[in-house]
Amino acid sequence: MAQKLKLTSYVTGALLASTSLVAAECADPVKVGVLHSLSGTMAISETTLKDTMLMLIEQQNAKGGVLGCEIEAVVVDPASDWPLFAEKARELLTVSEVDVIFGSWTSVSRKSALPVLEELNGLMFYPVQYEGEESSRNVFYTGAAPNQQAIPAVDYFLEELGVEKFALLGTDYVYPRTTNNILEQYLQDKGIAADDIFVNYTPFGHSDWATIVGDVVALGEDGKQVGVISTINGDANIGFYKELAAADISADDIPVVAFSVGEEELSGLDTSNLVGHLAAWNYFQSAESEANAEFIEAWKAFAGEERVTNDPMEAHYIGFNMWINAVTAAGTTDVDAVRAEMYGQEFPNLTGGTAVMLPNHHLAKPVLIGEITAEGQFDIISQTAEVPGDAWTDFLPASAVLTSDWKELGCGMYNTETETCVQLTSNY
Amino acid sequence: MRYLVLALAVWLGTFVSAQAQTVQDILQVHADEIAKPSRRSVSVALDDLVASGLPQVPVFLEQWSARNVWQRDDGQFFIGDADGDDLALTDIDTGAASFALKSEFTQIRPNGGVRRVIGTALVQFQLSDPDLGRRETAVASIARRPEAAQLAPLLASIEGEPDAALKARKVQLANFLSARFADDPADRIAAINSLSSDTSVEARSVLNQILTTEPGVSASEPEGNIARVLDPMIDPDGFYAQLVEAELAPSRTPPDVIRAALEANVVEGRVGDVPVAQLGTDQMREAAYAQLADAGLVASLVTVSDRDAAIAAHVFFETYDEADPTITAAAEAALASVEQRVAFAQAADLALDGLSLASIYFLAAIGLAITFGVMGVINMAHGEFIMMGAYTGYVVQLFIPDYTLSIIVALPLAFAITFGAGVSMERLVIRHLYHRPLETLLATFGISIALQQLAKNIFGTQARPLTSPGWLDGAWVISDVIQISYIRIAIFILALLFLALILYVLKRTRLGLEVRAVTQNPGMAASMGINPDRINMLTFGLGSGIAGIAGVAIGLYAKVTSEMGTDYIVQSFMTVVVGGVGNVWGTLLGASMIGFLQKGIEWLNPSNTLAAQTYMILFIILFIQFRPKGIIALKGRAAAD
Amino acid sequence: MQNTFIARNPSVLWFLAALGLFTAIVTLMSEATGVGLISTSFVKTLGKTLCLCLIAIAMDVVWGYCGILSLGHFAFFGIGGYAIGMWLMYARTEAIVVPNLMAQTIPPTPQEISDAIGNQIFGVVGSSEFPMIWGFADSLFLQLLMVVLVPGLLALVFGWLAFRSRVTGVYLSILTQAMTLALALYLFQNDSGLRGNNGLSGLQNIPGFEDTPQATISIVFFLASAFALAAGYVFFAWIVSGKMGSVVKGIRDNEARVRFLGYHVESYKLFIFTITAIVAGIAGALYYPQAGIINPGEIAPIASIYLAVWVAIGGRGRLYGAVIGAAFVSLLSSWFTGGGAPPINLGFYTIQWTDWWLVLLGVSFVAVTLFFPKGIGGLFDYLVRKQP
Repeated sequence: MAQKLKLTSYVTGALLASTSLVAAECADPVKVGVLHSLSGTMAISETTLKDTMLMLIEQQNAKGGVLGCEIEAVVVDPASDWPLFAEKARELLTVSEVDVIFGSWTSVSRKSALPVLEELNGLMFYPVQYEGEESSRNVFYTGAAPNQQAIPAVDYFLEELGVEKFALLGTDYVYPRTTNNILEQYLQDKGIAADDIFVNYTPFGHSDWATIVGDVVALGEDGKQVGVISTINGDANIGFYKELAAADISADDIPVVAFSVGEEELSGLDTSNLVGHLAAWNYFQSAESEANAEFIEAWKAFAGEERVTNDPMEAHYIGFNMWINAVTAAGTTDVDAVRAEMYGQEFPNLTGGTAVMLPNHHLAKPVLIGEITAEGQFDIISQTAEVPGDAWTDFLPASAVLTSDWKELGCGMYNTETETCVQLTSNY
Repeated sequence: MRYLVLALAVWLGTFVSAQAQTVQDILQVHADEIAKPSRRSVSVALDDLVASGLPQVPVFLEQWSARNVWQRDDGQFFIGDADGDDLALTDIDTGAASFALKSEFTQIRPNGGVRRVIGTALVQFQLSDPDLGRRETAVASIARRPEAAQLAPLLASIEGEPDAALKARKVQLANFLSARFADDPADRIAAINSLSSDTSVEARSVLNQILTTEPGVSASEPEGNIARVLDPMIDPDGFYAQLVEAELAPSRTPPDVIRAALEANVVEGRVGDVPVAQLGTDQMREAAYAQLADAGLVASLVTVSDRDAAIAAHVFFETYDEADPTITAAAEAALASVEQRVAFAQAADLALDGLSLASIYFLAAIGLAITFGVMGVINMAHGEFIMMGAYTGYVVQLFIPDYTLSIIVALPLAFAITFGAGVSMERLVIRHLYHRPLETLLATFGISIALQQLAKNIFGTQARPLTSPGWLDGAWVISDVIQISYIRIAIFILALLFLALILYVLKRTRLGLEVRAVTQNPGMAASMGINPDRINMLTFGLGSGIAGIAGVAIGLYAKVTSEMGTDYIVQSFMTVVVGGVGNVWGTLLGASMIGFLQKGIEWLNPSNTLAAQTYMILFIILFIQFRPKGIIALKGRAAAD
Repeated sequence: MQNTFIARNPSVLWFLAALGLFTAIVTLMSEATGVGLISTSFVKTLGKTLCLCLIAIAMDVVWGYCGILSLGHFAFFGIGGYAIGMWLMYARTEAIVVPNLMAQTIPPTPQEISDAIGNQIFGVVGSSEFPMIWGFADSLFLQLLMVVLVPGLLALVFGWLAFRSRVTGVYLSILTQAMTLALALYLFQNDSGLRGNNGLSGLQNIPGFEDTPQATISIVFFLASAFALAAGYVFFAWIVSGKMGSVVKGIRDNEARVRFLGYHVESYKLFIFTITAIVAGIAGALYYPQAGIINPGEIAPIASIYLAVWVAIGGRGRLYGAVIGAAFVSLLSSWFTGGGAPPINLGFYTIQWTDWWLVLLGVSFVAVTLFFPKGIGGLFDYLVRKQP
């Protein structure tokens, strides 16, 4: 029995091997771990990212790999089960001995893997927008921090749409909770009364939206312009938008801006009734640039003609290319050497402009706001200059004094008031 | 004021138009504003355009708003229609048509806020336009951004309005506008009074706008149109903060400021005469701080009694922005009357929502109730039958693009497929486990996970669209408060139909008689010539078939995913258990109770839907403790456990 | 007494011997001893599996012996995990925060310490205040007491209410499932004070042992789990083999008849329900420090149903059956879903086991219920009895 069980420890998932020109002279192949759920509830989003990684690695190998080595992808499936993220991360780092991990989608999965990454000094790229309030030495956050998505979207509501009353609707988990907390504080700083902010949390996969949509409509009773900030996650959006359409709420009456609805999510919806509602991201498929056209073409050739691209895919695209450049510059895949080379790495965005990796492990990226079109795409109506990602928000008193600088200060949670490093590991 | 601005704009406009004769010229003056319009700054350009009086202006504004305006690389604006890489251009002033390559042009995309401002500017051109659609747009624009200047043109346009519905809407809007902006107070009061029975959001917003207040504080009796005087002791800290903001009192010293002050004044390991090591409590810190204050090193501490004294010395009040007390009094009275009606309407709306939820639960649970009641068998795969029904609807829509027809096909097909699945499950598995009810539960659970994963393998994990036919779009709007979407009404009717059908089958048909006989005493029924095996099979098929139809209905209003079954299975069990097993009326009562209860709890705590579900389940657990056999307890085989 | 009990149950000795051998081999092969044939991550998997075996025995006692199909025992397991997790998080954060505060010019007030710890723990879920639930989190002893007390009390109250009203059979199963669902939904809320969907994480870092490598910690927990399993096995074997065991089995087979014989059936059921809940809590408290994170998803009703599946496949009414079922199914499950099983190419379609494993599990589960109601353990019995 022990013999049989031991087999499991060597299970590392499917190994991708493609033809190579250089592999022969490479003693130590470069291994890239892909830690995305391929089954369970998150599979729908994460499988796309796994495919993106495989495509990027294939492209890189066609260009001759890195450091003269073929890149080998090690794909594991944490199955949307949060404890498994820790287990699989450990397996990737100790058994498969990968040089870097690209993975995770939700904050809880990242926080599950974090202690393992810090203990074993691994390196992970996290590609999804998140709530901030974290900076780990071993993670690069290529998705948006709140100040790169939520805050600009709210500014757009305040400035451009003249919204005076806000409904913050979210799924009950950490990203909406923290984001809404930050937004509530931010709105109050901007002079919106606490009474004019309506907050509601619903469970994952919620489907009974009639009452909540009714509540939102009723907010307009004092004649103020109402706007909805939606951090509703996944499937629940379908019921929500269906109910909005049924209640005949047009974007002109009550605009909705969503932070978790992208091209992929819209493909499950009939968008004809949603035209004009908004989403805020750092990337839209409709962005007009040569690099984007190439990326979309390569993706469709790789994954299928009907597939769409989305924001986390761009995050992996930038993250992977930056890592390749950092490894090339460092001449090794050693984590600490690569990390030192990552700071200040620049790579062109798919939307035009250049992404820069900051010493706080976040990217400087432009913020885009798009209106939903009848084809399930987004019409970009606003694009800012590059916004540097902020790990610790300036709008909550407890984190306003904190800063993260791994390059100069060597600390991810540095208290600028007392000028001390609160802790070197991250708070998971 | 508004008139003044308008007059100024007209006056300025004559200057501009004296120099610039075409729309294009005006546009070039404001090229940046047109190309990258912003809500706050666009009005300058708009005013100039409107003031020019050029006939092409309304057309341009409409095209601009519809995102049909393109800017050439040299800065010239055109109305354009993109077709592939080409662009069909129309000159803004002359209307001359031409073609060009799209790559040399940039599309101008005014955002929602700008479009609203453009809409307002267009109102004066559109109110009496011969085209009904334009007039409706204009009226909608007024409703979105009511302004004083719109009252006169709106009133003027009512007379000549040919469309009866639009005319009524214009009269209503004019009434709203006069309540806020009419010159004569008597007119305003009359308009306000007429709103006292109108529960629409718009009417309430008009009243609330009239009644907007500003908080104020003063040391003496306040002046102006006072709404109310406030009691500061309900939130002393908040009101004191208001005093501090008005610079009527010194600010309080928060703990971190005390701490910083102490840190700054450490002398030889002591603050005052307190050793630093003892500063680990709030009391000692305040004592040390008081010493510093006595020494004049820091501002003295505002104590609680200082705060209360300061508050007591001031009057806190709210003043109306509206100066005329008769108008605010009328508005208050009207609003009070409206609020009461709204409260009733909200109760009615809540009841409708509850009814809708109850009918969904009923539909999801009734199939389960039949199988559980008649056969004493728990079917954990019931949720997966719901899912199968929904996916049937999805697949049918892939083949039949007409939504109405596809639903008509999907409903019986879903019934047939799940009926078949139910019958085969009964034959293959459940039949062998009749004497082991707990194991049926587990075996059907095995089937449930297999079916769920199978659906994932076939259809993927992504939610699939099941689109309702056009005539089910939208909602039945009784008032702005009471409304319910047609799809929910359809589900309600479907639930009623099934209630009637099942009652008919059970009470009026041979099959029903046999089913009831088997329920009450299978042994006796068998000896009377009834074949219990056949009855069991048919009942199971029937229960599963209804689940399939419920699946189509649920898919229409929510979503189709492989996990939708699990969302409903526990609720369905609760419904059946609470209602009492084996009784259609019991299921109906159970579903109503759970539906209304959930809505009731949600109403009590509107910001947290999850809490509502938790409390509801707790309530059900308690309920079962006191009525273990449900609301309507049956006698017979099921009742014997 | 002990002697006679063991003598009557040779299977207990066999089990202890097998478990001891297995534990010794794993320990020797682990990275902690420097051999490293078994990786740390796999030691953790094995340690977790032992905890699952422990809760499976508890489930077997309550279902296989007493006839109560509880679909709520994973709730108790989760509560145990949360109770220990609170201390682990609190103590770990305190160790980071307090030295930092102490280093400043002015010593911190208790309020400042509590705020700083609270901000670290709850900052990520957008709050900084300490909820009431965390009142005892600073004391390891009290939290360990909670591991036992909270599941025990919950089971006692719930069981008392349910058994008193004579809720039995399928109804009771549904009711326990509702309890689990209510608890999971409650914990899912951020307002529950237990960090909502995020749950408690970083539990593998044991306060006070920051510098001990995980290879050692994993072995310590593995051994502790093995010891708990052995103790639990002996304890339950003792319970079900005595007079009490006979009454309990009688309740399973015919509750009314036992009641007519003058036994107070409700008390027996309540005792079994409560004691198994406590053991489930202990199993959870050992499991989650090895898993590293606990969140409400762990308590979802499906987990408790899987528990029943393990016991059914392993064979009800035999303690070793539950152990075999839990170990076999959960390890097989992670082998299949981990991509370990080679895909089968049918020419027109390739079977990926990550996709098809659940279908296989579901179908084989139906087959076991239909054709082998005694499960794998039954097969075992058959083989043993065949020998003279």
